[in-house]
Amino acid sequence: MPDRQRLVVIGGDAAGMSAASQVRRRRPDWQITVFERGDFTSYSA
Amino acid sequence: MPYYIGGLVDDADSLIARSPEAFREQGIDVRTRHEVEEIDAERRTVLVRDLGTRERSTEPYDNLVIATGAEPAVPDLPGIQAGGIFKMSWMHDMLALDQYLVEHQCRRAVIVGGGYIGIEMAEALLLRELETTLIHSRRAVMPSLDEDLGLLINGTLTDEGVNLITSQRAVGFEARDGRVTAVRTEEASYPADIVILCLGTRPRSDLASAAGVPVGPSGGIIVNDRMMTAKDGICAAGDCTEMRHLVTGEQVSVALGTIANKQGRICGINLAGGDASFPGILGTAITRFCDLEIARTGLNERQLIRRNIDYVAGKIESSTRSGYFPGSSSITVKVTAERETGKLLGGQIVGGPGAGKRIDTLATALFSGLTLTDLEYLDLSYAPPFSPVWDPVQIAARIGARQVGSPKTAI
Repeated sequence: MPDRQRLVVIGGDAAGMSAASQVRRRRPDWQITVFERGDFTSYSA
Repeated sequence: MPYYIGGLVDDADSLIARSPEAFREQGIDVRTRHEVEEIDAERRTVLVRDLGTRERSTEPYDNLVIATGAEPAVPDLPGIQAGGIFKMSWMHDMLALDQYLVEHQCRRAVIVGGGYIGIEMAEALLLRELETTLIHSRRAVMPSLDEDLGLLINGTLTDEGVNLITSQRAVGFEARDGRVTAVRTEEASYPADIVILCLGTRPRSDLASAAGVPVGPSGGIIVNDRMMTAKDGICAAGDCTEMRHLVTGEQVSVALGTIANKQGRICGINLAGGDASFPGILGTAITRFCDLEIARTGLNERQLIRRNIDYVAGKIESSTRSGYFPGSSSITVKVTAERETGKLLGGQIVGGPGAGKRIDTLATALFSGLTLTDLEYLDLSYAPPFSPVWDPVQIAARIGARQVGSPKTAI
């Protein structure tokens, strides 16, 4: 599926932000949007 | 988060590995206070609500990652709505709890549930000089370990000043003016200015399930080893998923940041056209209460008995360093293995500083399919400041190995 352009991530903690970061690194042209219910990302529970 | 409450980590911001702003600078459009209410897997859109403006919008996607996490179990008990009853799940739970402690000058805390978070919170509240009661439903805390090791932890909890109440279950809460004043069990009532519920979590998979993404019996979203769900264009990672236990082959849900990070990374690599796969889990975990370190991997005796697996166990109390070396403290190690082959099935460790991370030796051995004899003679590191000449995990392995191949005797 590398031809697809728009990535949406639901949830901005460890799993969601790790996925988003990997895609960003490898696919600089993709549009990446993360929706997070809270105020924070990648916090240490 | 418990270490923030306890004051060991004094800056809440330092708990945040990377802020929304830092991600935005990298070109990741992070929208906080935005809740996804619905996934339309056919049209490939999500319905999003801005929690600030309360406006809804529909956002298209080509690929979707569901990383909705897990939610803490909140029992439906009388009085549960009272103020001052907290769970520890989100950052805002932690900040709200911290604020409540200060605002209401809490003196007495009751923790319900003696698992990982429960005992970490017990340490934190002791450090905050609260009178701390911990109510646990079984005889021994830390139900992911066998009772004999759990009882060691009971002892330390009591020694450090926790009012430990075992074999009791919370049945309700008393309140005055809308604020909690006590936790009731079937036997007694325990005064509380603040209550922390630490009763485990379950995968937050309702959103996925409503969109037709299959969810397994554990409640987690079913994914393959590349983190893809059964729905085209949708993958999932972290606490909301179901994963394979490498020892039992069962599908389980485990909420741990270490797994979430790995799954997220694997998910992202695959989405970007790379190739990575998640191997599964062993059930490895570690925590501590004050100076007592607690760790486990694989299957304990209780889990083996429940599955009717014929096993041997080896248990030893030894020391974390050479006995004569300063700073040496007690460590108890238990290993379990298949009776017929001696193949390692699990390990548990309770002991002083330096004890806990030894679980990684056992986890690696378990992953690699080593036997107790392999483990006994494995070339591990030794010098007096670090371990006795036979590492405690090797002594436990030796004791277990003596029974391998022998006929089962009544326990």
